[in-house]
Amino acid sequence: MRCIYCDKEIGKITFTSLFLEEDSLCPDCRRMLPIKRKCITLDDLKVESFYEYEGMFKSLLLQYKECCDEALKDVFLYGLKDYIRIRYAGYALLFVPSSQKKKQIRGFDHLELIFEDIKLPKAKGLRMKEDLIQEGKNAVERSRMRQNYVYEGELQKKVLIVDDVLTTGSSMIGAYEAIKGKTRHVRALSLANKNYHFPFKNKV
Amino acid sequence: MRCKRCGNTDPSYFYKGHKGYYCRKCIRFSRILLEEEILPLDYEIAQGSEVYRFDYPLTEPQLEASRNCVEFLKHGDVLLYCVCGAGKTEIAVQSISEYLRRGLKVAYAISRREVVIELTKRFEKIFSKAKVTGVYGGHHDELTGDLIVCTCHQLYRYYQTFDLLILDEADAFPLKGNETLMNISVNACKGRVVYSTATVDSTLRKVINRRPFRTVELYVRPSFKPLAVPRVFYLPKYPALLVLYLLLRKIDGQCIVFTTSKKDCEVFYRIFSRFFSCTYVYADLPERKRHIEDFRDKKYRFIFATTVLERGITIKNVSVIILNFARIFDQSNLIQMLGRVGRGTDSVAGDAYVISDHSDPEIRKTLKYLKKANSYL
Repeated sequence: MRCIYCDKEIGKITFTSLFLEEDSLCPDCRRMLPIKRKCITLDDLKVESFYEYEGMFKSLLLQYKECCDEALKDVFLYGLKDYIRIRYAGYALLFVPSSQKKKQIRGFDHLELIFEDIKLPKAKGLRMKEDLIQEGKNAVERSRMRQNYVYEGELQKKVLIVDDVLTTGSSMIGAYEAIKGKTRHVRALSLANKNYHFPFKNKV
Repeated sequence: MRCKRCGNTDPSYFYKGHKGYYCRKCIRFSRILLEEEILPLDYEIAQGSEVYRFDYPLTEPQLEASRNCVEFLKHGDVLLYCVCGAGKTEIAVQSISEYLRRGLKVAYAISRREVVIELTKRFEKIFSKAKVTGVYGGHHDELTGDLIVCTCHQLYRYYQTFDLLILDEADAFPLKGNETLMNISVNACKGRVVYSTATVDSTLRKVINRRPFRTVELYVRPSFKPLAVPRVFYLPKYPALLVLYLLLRKIDGQCIVFTTSKKDCEVFYRIFSRFFSCTYVYADLPERKRHIEDFRDKKYRFIFATTVLERGITIKNVSVIILNFARIFDQSNLIQMLGRVGRGTDSVAGDAYVISDHSDPEIRKTLKYLKKANSYL
């Protein structure tokens, strides 16, 4: 088997590897993608993030999203799937939508594909009012995303909002505002965070 | 299954996504589906853009080589096999002008970003009436023009577009040993390719041999001075440092010391900065541009460098010392490094030394090549 990122041959089966989930990254690449769990409070929404948006994670996510490389879908949640399933049991996943234009080019929804294997109910119905792209914009322009989401339809009592990267938190809060009042308990999850953007106090 | 862009046929590199199969070997250049039609870029060449003028006259061997190049391009690809500092760019100019006159598309591809910026300015001077477009990472909003100068990585944007593609330094990083990028580069061209290089390695040989080609050879520099043949010392690593110290004391004028790794580069700088005024540079260093500029302005006498300074840099009256530990450098590296000596028309030839801790066939090959090239004078 070859490493999915650096094309290096992965070694033979070892004794410990029998007990672990099969990894498509080689040990060297995996070492460069350390999990740094962090809890961030945005207004009154608690967000959990797993990685820092830099180095290896950045290049992997760019290859996955911009070059449309679907083969990388299992890389991000390696060893975290069981944790999410148990920690957030009873929650329904609500994905923050990306713009329709990008979705059409890609041909797949990048977040849904990553969380495909996790057996939690998925809520659908969140959509954007305007088709905006956040890439390469500053904080003021990004803050428009706060009023840009609408939710149509029913919701469960507990909802988990899921996004890929937390930069200023605008889109996360936008999604939170859209479902406020329709449900009782809301938590959020993002794969990575750009931690230098947060003036708020962080709890580990 | 065969990828149209990179020519990959290994089935384990193809992955089935939501839109169908795609090639993962060249995925970092954006996704290409197997059934997808790739359209070549279409644009017009302005008339009268072929006029060119040099600020300095070319020498007789250079003129002959450029005439040969134009002639051979009618029959097939050309391998421009010249020694360092022979003026490969100037030789290609006549062929470019010939193609522009016929209204055909021409591109000049080179490996490094800084060199693209420099070459764009140079070509703007030579082709004063043409619109020269530089395309490199972070600067690719405008893709069309009369003459396109770009890095090899940007060639994936032009599938089957050019009638003449000049691949400069075809043996250097990143093209060296990277067949995917090589195939993408060659696929950007539907007509003829000119490979211009000082050394030919096995990957390049494989790519060239696919189609008929002829070789233009030029072993004489415009200054008609011989290439520097190095003095070779075989020594273990720590005695080599002592010899390096003694050499640096003897050498007058500026000197580049090539080391095999970043770590060595920094360690040697720390040691020798106690005795001499020196600086250091490697590819990841944030302030490398400033260090090189300072060295150019003669603020420092010595510079410790990795292979970043190997190509495309001209400093007058410079000497070169190569510390080749553990047989890292191969023939093309060595020839390019030694090619830094005696560049420019009126410079005095400096000295060249190689210090190696192993007996090395690559060094022997290099010496043989240099002697052969010097025998043409």
